[in-house]
Amino acid sequence: MTEDILGAMKENVIQGRITKDDEGLEDEMTGQPGVKELVQEALDNNYEPRTILDTITDAMTIVGDKFESKEFFIPDMLAAAETVGVAMEMLDPLLAQSGIEPKGKVFLATVKGDLHDIGKNIVAILLRGNGYIVNDLGNDISAETIANAIKEEKPMVVGLSALLTSTMGNMKGVIEVLKEAGVRDQVKVVIGGAPITEEFANNIGADGYGADGFDAVRVVTSLVG
Amino acid sequence: MLVIGEVINATNKKVGQAIADRDKEFLQNLAQEEENAGADFLDVNATRGGESSEEAAVAMQWLVGIVQEVTDKPLVIDSDSPEVIKAGLDKYNGDKVTINSVSAESERMEAILPLAAERQALLVALAHGAEGIPDNVEDRLTACGQIVEKAQSLGIKLENIFFDPLVLPISVDPTQGMVTMKTIEGIKSRYPEAKTVVGLSNVSFGLPARKMVNRATLLMAAYAGLDAAILDPRDSKMTPFIKLADLLTGNDPNCKAFIKANRKGLLVE
Repeated sequence: MTEDILGAMKENVIQGRITKDDEGLEDEMTGQPGVKELVQEALDNNYEPRTILDTITDAMTIVGDKFESKEFFIPDMLAAAETVGVAMEMLDPLLAQSGIEPKGKVFLATVKGDLHDIGKNIVAILLRGNGYIVNDLGNDISAETIANAIKEEKPMVVGLSALLTSTMGNMKGVIEVLKEAGVRDQVKVVIGGAPITEEFANNIGADGYGADGFDAVRVVTSLVG
Repeated sequence: MLVIGEVINATNKKVGQAIADRDKEFLQNLAQEEENAGADFLDVNATRGGESSEEAAVAMQWLVGIVQEVTDKPLVIDSDSPEVIKAGLDKYNGDKVTINSVSAESERMEAILPLAAERQALLVALAHGAEGIPDNVEDRLTACGQIVEKAQSLGIKLENIFFDPLVLPISVDPTQGMVTMKTIEGIKSRYPEAKTVVGLSNVSFGLPARKMVNRATLLMAAYAGLDAAILDPRDSKMTPFIKLADLLTGNDPNCKAFIKANRKGLLVE
């Protein structure tokens, strides 16, 4: 029975099915329990919240691999992450009760002058789906606002996004302001966005570069894990 | 359907490297390939990102110069930075230059619109508001309206503006296909003299069979009132759809262009 519920849960995260009414990647899935029903069933059968969380995290790793190998596309990824969001709402209070800490706090922002948020939002969804607490500061965020937020709330990682070649330079400004504010050593800085390269990240003194959403999760995990 | 060739863009790795290396031959070949493939305009973007604004301006001037050595097609000077656009315009030789782009963000309007007025340039105007890209038709049309008001006060004619309704990936939000179409319709009904343009490839970001999605989008957008598309004119599977767009919207008198394309063997089924 154990493997059945957890195995089905994993498969349904991968297939992005929240409830029994959702379509899956195979035709005959509709009508079978989705992640919401399966998490409830597992809890009713006294599975540890931690075991359920691990199952979901495993499933997201597989989704990441499938995305990387181009078997999965962005809609698949978003649907899978959405099931994780639903599961986490059910699990969060129970995890807190049993004293299990979330993996860490990550702040995200699109830098000053830049109003593009699609990439940042995908990163937020995937980080949450991997058990991180994400505080999305928004778009067009000044270096000072970012530095103050870091001072007050001490996240482990701050992720910066830019789509424009004319705003990517502001990432360097953020790092400089973090230094001036004396908080550069307290936080890892990860950057991403269409014009960003590993080389640029190194040049401006960032701690990491995420080429896409899953890569961002990998980099964050390697920096704080 | 006017075709704006998108190939000479430094955000493409190979092209960006060629611009950094000042590889004149490689870039001039691209320009000629685009012209031969039927481009009406050539977009030129010289900024990879990460360079200083002086470097970016110098790169743009060099690029405009070497492209104009090999083609008489009008250029579309493309940059996120008003200084780089100005540098490109200063170097440009000829009439009918296009600026790509302005949005309804006030500092962009203040920097770009006087330039467009002074040089009598054509202008790509994004339906991008002060707060970002609106996710709905009404707010995109409001952004266009703000640009129209400011542009007309400077004497820029509507017929010289190409409005870009903007295309967001439908992989992230499936309603965005129709938001783009309805925005095109709204622009054409509010400002009949103005033109519309889209960069197609964004629509298919994150999906399989991207080129197929792009081709289908071109036809839908043509129905909605699209006048121009920014694309790779060398894509031989796109070419028939450009011809079809004119054919099916009554913009190909006596179906001449379509039949001519057939004679040339361009209509790969």
